[in-house]
Amino acid sequence: MDIKFSLQGGLIYLTMVFFLAALTACGFKRKTLTQYFWFAGFLAAVASVVWRGIHTQHAPMQNLFEFFLCMAAFLWPLTQISRIKDGIDTTVKDAILGLIILVPVGFVFGEEVRRLPPALQSPLFVPHVGSYVAGYIMLARAALMSLPMFKSNLTKVELAGADMASRQTVSIGFMLITIGLILGSLWGKLCWGHYWQWDPKESWSLATWMAYGVYFHLRLNYGVRKPRLLAAFLWIGVLFVVLTLTWINLSRIFSGMHTYA
Amino acid sequence: MKKILNKLIGTDVAVCICGILSAGSIVLAFFGSERSIKLMSTPPALGFSALVALLLVVRGIMTLFRKRFDSALLHLGCACVVCGWLWGQVEPKFVKDALPLKGSMALVDGDVMNALWEGAYLTNYVGRLPFTVKLDKFIINYYESSDQDQSNGRMPPIKEYRSRVTISEPDKKSYVKNIIVNYPVYVGGYYIYQMSWGQSQNRWGQPVTYTVLQFIRDPGLRAVYAGYVMLFVGTLLFAIKLFRVKMPVLSVNQEVK
Repeated sequence: MDIKFSLQGGLIYLTMVFFLAALTACGFKRKTLTQYFWFAGFLAAVASVVWRGIHTQHAPMQNLFEFFLCMAAFLWPLTQISRIKDGIDTTVKDAILGLIILVPVGFVFGEEVRRLPPALQSPLFVPHVGSYVAGYIMLARAALMSLPMFKSNLTKVELAGADMASRQTVSIGFMLITIGLILGSLWGKLCWGHYWQWDPKESWSLATWMAYGVYFHLRLNYGVRKPRLLAAFLWIGVLFVVLTLTWINLSRIFSGMHTYA
Repeated sequence: MKKILNKLIGTDVAVCICGILSAGSIVLAFFGSERSIKLMSTPPALGFSALVALLLVVRGIMTLFRKRFDSALLHLGCACVVCGWLWGQVEPKFVKDALPLKGSMALVDGDVMNALWEGAYLTNYVGRLPFTVKLDKFIINYYESSDQDQSNGRMPPIKEYRSRVTISEPDKKSYVKNIIVNYPVYVGGYYIYQMSWGQSQNRWGQPVTYTVLQFIRDPGLRAVYAGYVMLFVGTLLFAIKLFRVKMPVLSVNQEVK
């Protein structure tokens, strides 16, 4: 447990309060109020990312604390895209996702500032980590959107909606993690000497990528005839992402070259 | 014939292969980097990779004929990466008098060397480079000392390692290069990396700081990079194609496609 009494901590807790307020307002069916709170939460999240960047004097993507902080700031624009493009309201899902992301930031990870070691001083740092931040968020949202597909009495309209929303989201997420993987590999070539060294985190990222490969081929093969299988693979993918971010980063079994977190 | 071919390289097989590769790389994650690299350079692993590459190529060409360019680029890009990696692994077995793929040298200021070494103490001779390297100076730069550093009485963290070297290639004028972490220097087919450093004593018992430079030659690198470009374009087209699909407006009894 690590409660932060700094300005940074204040901004994080403020973001969480706004997210919670948005959820509560939604519970009382106050739609406009929900949107105001959700937007305020976004502003607070952006403020905490910007403050972190100013405070540390580098792009705030060095460790899990900064990585998760960026993730929370990505959510509001995605909600807007979903609304404009598909006409679906994902505020509740996104707010819950945001809270889940911010709990470790607020209460688990330390916020001490570390100056960038030589290995991280590269122009590829921000694009590589940034595309993974955005990609992981999209994959998590895709899994949330596929939730109705587990229902037993699923109507065709519901099925089509859930499948479409989740497949579009996961295709963007897949693109982003592919770009992240390629950029990471190029960076590995420049920094460590080889583009692929079977570093534990590399291997897990490849496993995640392949899990989504399974999803796309299943979708191609069976269409939407096996909705639960499709949704299950989206959740397996997210499980891999969560494992990559937590277990692989923090456990000593997987000590590799990605040990910056 | 066509049926058998479709069975052999159909989406069912693709699902299986993706699943196997996913599970396999999790196993490799448990093995760790060093053991995985060794395992992946054994003949069965190389053979399996070649098989996967072959299937990817066949599938890629098939989708190309069906004008599904996103899928074709993704499959052919993967195949290109695997082939480039394979060639990087097996090239010395096929090419006579191939230069060493990998090696390091430890230098103190003023040393001149063109031999590559390996092993924990760089004692095993690997081979000779087609050029010589002279270390002009090895420099370590630190961050400015912060208040916290001063109150704890410790050195600020290291900001930069830099080896300034003079490279002499045969029949060419020698020139100076700076080798920094993240910014390797490309000379005569080799990437030269700032890999490590340490402190030791010279033969008169004076302390000296040495730098370790790593030299890596990868004959398959171009194919791998070409594969990356194809993957990048392929995944971009794929996402755009799916994103442009409109949300279906269905009545309850309409069939979902």
